[in-house]
Amino acid sequence: MPTINLRGAQKNYGVNSANAVSNLDLEIRDGEFMCLLGPSGCGKTTTLRMIAGLENLSAGEIRIGDRVVDSIFDGVFVPPEKREMGLVFQSYALWPHLTIERNTDFGLRLRKLPKAEREARVEKVMQALDIAKYRDRYPSQLSGGQQQRVALARMLAVNPGVLLLDEPLSNLDARLRLEMRAELKRLHKEFKTTIVFVTHDQWEAMTLATTIAVMNEGTLQQMGTPNDIYDRPANRFVAEFVGSPPINILSFDKKAKSDVAKEAEAYLSNRYPGLLGIGSVGIRPEALSYATRKEDVPPGSFSGKMVVTGILPTGGSWILELKSDNHTLFLTTHALPRLELGEKVRFCAPPEALHVFDKDGQRIAEADKLLRSTKLN
Amino acid sequence: MAFLSDSAKAPRAASGGAAVPSSWQVWRYRLKVASREPTTLIGVLTALLFTYLIVVPIISIVLDSVRVQFGHERRLGKDFGDLTLYYLDRTFMSPVSVDLFWRPLFNTLSVAVGAILLSLLIGTILAWLISRTDMFGRRWFATALIVPYMLPAWTFALAWTTLSKNRTVGGQPGWFEALGWAPPDWVAYGRFPITIILALHYAPFVILLFGSALRRFDSQLEDSARILGAKRYQVAMQIILPLMRPALMSSMILIFAKCLGEFGVPYVLGLPVKFEVLSTSLFRSIASRQTGVAGVVAASIMLIGIITLMIDARLVREARRFVTIGSKGSMNRQSRLGKLRLPATGFAATIFMLSVGLPLLTLFLSTVMKLPAQFTLDNFTLDYWIGQDLHTVALQTGVLLSPDLWAAAKNTLMIVGLASLASGILGLLVGYVVIRTPVRVLSVYLRQVTFLPYLVPGIAFAAAYLSLFAVPRGPMPALYGTVTILALALMADQMPYASRAGISAMTQLGKDPEEAAQIAGAGWFRRMMSIVIPIQKGSLVTGVLLPFISGIKGLSLFVILAVPSTDVLTTYSLRLVDYHYTQAANAVVLIIAAIAYLGTLAAQKLTKTNLAEGLGS
Repeated sequence: MPTINLRGAQKNYGVNSANAVSNLDLEIRDGEFMCLLGPSGCGKTTTLRMIAGLENLSAGEIRIGDRVVDSIFDGVFVPPEKREMGLVFQSYALWPHLTIERNTDFGLRLRKLPKAEREARVEKVMQALDIAKYRDRYPSQLSGGQQQRVALARMLAVNPGVLLLDEPLSNLDARLRLEMRAELKRLHKEFKTTIVFVTHDQWEAMTLATTIAVMNEGTLQQMGTPNDIYDRPANRFVAEFVGSPPINILSFDKKAKSDVAKEAEAYLSNRYPGLLGIGSVGIRPEALSYATRKEDVPPGSFSGKMVVTGILPTGGSWILELKSDNHTLFLTTHALPRLELGEKVRFCAPPEALHVFDKDGQRIAEADKLLRSTKLN
Repeated sequence: MAFLSDSAKAPRAASGGAAVPSSWQVWRYRLKVASREPTTLIGVLTALLFTYLIVVPIISIVLDSVRVQFGHERRLGKDFGDLTLYYLDRTFMSPVSVDLFWRPLFNTLSVAVGAILLSLLIGTILAWLISRTDMFGRRWFATALIVPYMLPAWTFALAWTTLSKNRTVGGQPGWFEALGWAPPDWVAYGRFPITIILALHYAPFVILLFGSALRRFDSQLEDSARILGAKRYQVAMQIILPLMRPALMSSMILIFAKCLGEFGVPYVLGLPVKFEVLSTSLFRSIASRQTGVAGVVAASIMLIGIITLMIDARLVREARRFVTIGSKGSMNRQSRLGKLRLPATGFAATIFMLSVGLPLLTLFLSTVMKLPAQFTLDNFTLDYWIGQDLHTVALQTGVLLSPDLWAAAKNTLMIVGLASLASGILGLLVGYVVIRTPVRVLSVYLRQVTFLPYLVPGIAFAAAYLSLFAVPRGPMPALYGTVTILALALMADQMPYASRAGISAMTQLGKDPEEAAQIAGAGWFRRMMSIVIPIQKGSLVTGVLLPFISGIKGLSLFVILAVPSTDVLTTYSLRLVDYHYTQAANAVVLIIAAIAYLGTLAAQKLTKTNLAEGLGS
């Protein structure tokens, strides 16, 4: 499948309503496993539906390779049935009046394939997804996980160039979800399809995707590999949306400046006087460590005094809640913390753990160069 | 175009040379998207069809009422078709206005109010007994007491005349008379029997609506009041009744609207003593070719109907405000009747006997007995059903052997069958378009126009059809006296139910299954045939069956539009009544009642639906 290209794609429902998606540029390359990630209502499902052709654009255009499939300028709109894609719905949308086999067979019949080939292909995907034993049942007789497999099988049977998945795992229980994630990854390898996957679950995105596109309020926030997204969030929204427990944000805004933020401001202006225009600094909980004695603080790291107010075990790791007069920090540690509630500790963060954002919340790229090149002295 | 405002502001570095599209480009694109599938085309076509079949007839009859009608040109000194206030004046102000409009209006209102009060009294008690007490045989009564509504209302009227006819009209004596007691006119005809019969016929409305409100009622609300020290009657007056008010109001208004259009009962029971209601007055105006006056009366009936149902719509909307609070803790707690258990059951049984048993039994016996109320063996006969060479002027065979019956039955099946088939399919199509079309205006218009006949009592709607289709207009030939006009009118009259069923079915279906098929590569036609229609099979069957039942027992549309050659079962039996072939008439009515009852049962079985949802059909 050639590259799918969205340019300036825009969608609004009805005049005067806010844009569900605005000015979206997105490129999905062949063989990619792309996750559209964002909170509910961010436009990710709309984007998926625009790619599928179930929604038409309000502005912009969509190309598949060189072929324009949707454009107001060219007056082109290729309907979904002619785009040769696969889409698995959140609700699965199995046809209740057809058996599992007929559900799987539906697309192949439309393509008027010879019977023998149809049967062979249906058999293959039903085997691959382990649903062959339910072939004569109706969708209502299957469990959620089985229905989900049928929905996948139905789309894989026609061997689409692109497989679109709209939160397909959100209706499954935790265990099944894990299994299906592995399954999806396997299918991606086996069938070599391009996959576009919509989810609001960052873990799902992190574990599955080769590329993640983070969206918020109808606009693209950042596109990159899972590591990019996590290690170099392009703005505060991405930084705060990805990661659990969420990133600690120290705001330099005059009205809301906490004592920890003041310390950070002093730290940065002392060591990196060239760094200006900072709006906020983010530190991931797992990048923080703590020290009970001053001499244990690694030299050159950003640190400050706080009080332990909470120790929350999460099974294998612990989340510490640290408080100063007017700030709360969360810290993740994998070693059993030998601390008492009320004990005074110092948190410490190496300079490269600091994500520096400007006053508009955008990442300051220069800061990375400065902070990540300096070796601790 | 508002949807471009943001893109104009936004940076467009990556969007290769995209500029703001011109408005014709936008329209070209929209047209392309809208015309890609036949949905919008079908929507436009059905919208046009229903404008012609529903809106135009109504406009036509309203215009009739203010324009000079054929034959009045000289008297009014104006040309045919000129504007005139003559008919309004004649109907509302002239000396004959009392007979034409005001007395029928008063009679309609008084009968309706009487029927409402009586049915409320009976209905609320029965609803409470069925849904909240330990009365014997509750489940059985829950179905049995709804039966009167499944039968045509004038079944009861005919039974009443059979029982209490007196010498005011000729023919065979009534049963009471034969037993030696001649009922006075006020018992035999007019306001009293009409009120009672309508009350019994519409009491199921109250039982269904009030009963379902009672069942949904949260017992915890009651308990809270009791815990705070309220006595039983205080709970009833201060908690239950106010919360039940919307259901009560709603059933009152529905009954009123139904009484307004009721024709058969006042026709059978009112005529002998010249007791006229609006519907019979309208019928008389039409029968005597008073087209202008008929227009005024019909328009008045429509207006009253529309106002009534608007009030109902508003009440329903208001009721929603506090119905939603009704929480999940709703427990259907039963009151113990104690000593009253037997009398209560007796009451329910009595009502059942009065509203179902007695009338049906009377009608049946009347068709197998030569002389009324003589229970000797030699008095029984099957001649009225299957006799041959009888000594009567006409109808010399039993009704089952009469070719007229079979002709009427054939007509009924054809007309009603055709109309309900068409309305069922159109209803589904309308539902599809309303839910799916991207053109909002079309969706709203279709929804409203197909609902319009609901506001117009059948008899006024029939008059409107007569006004439009009695003479040739443009390419349309005169349809009066044809099967076509009956089928069209019936279909249009049934559209509110059909389209509502279609819309709700499509809403429930959602768009996912269809979109999945689209993704799989199925075009519009394919999706309709292999996905939408198979899934909607059940509701399509209901959408055909319910109009069919209501069409079978319907009278008011046909009585205006049918002529002897297009007789259906209902008009045929009415004609038999007119000729005083009482037994034959009763036999035909029994046949209709049986079809309607069995059909309703079948529809319920088939679709596993509750009758309450099909209310009003």
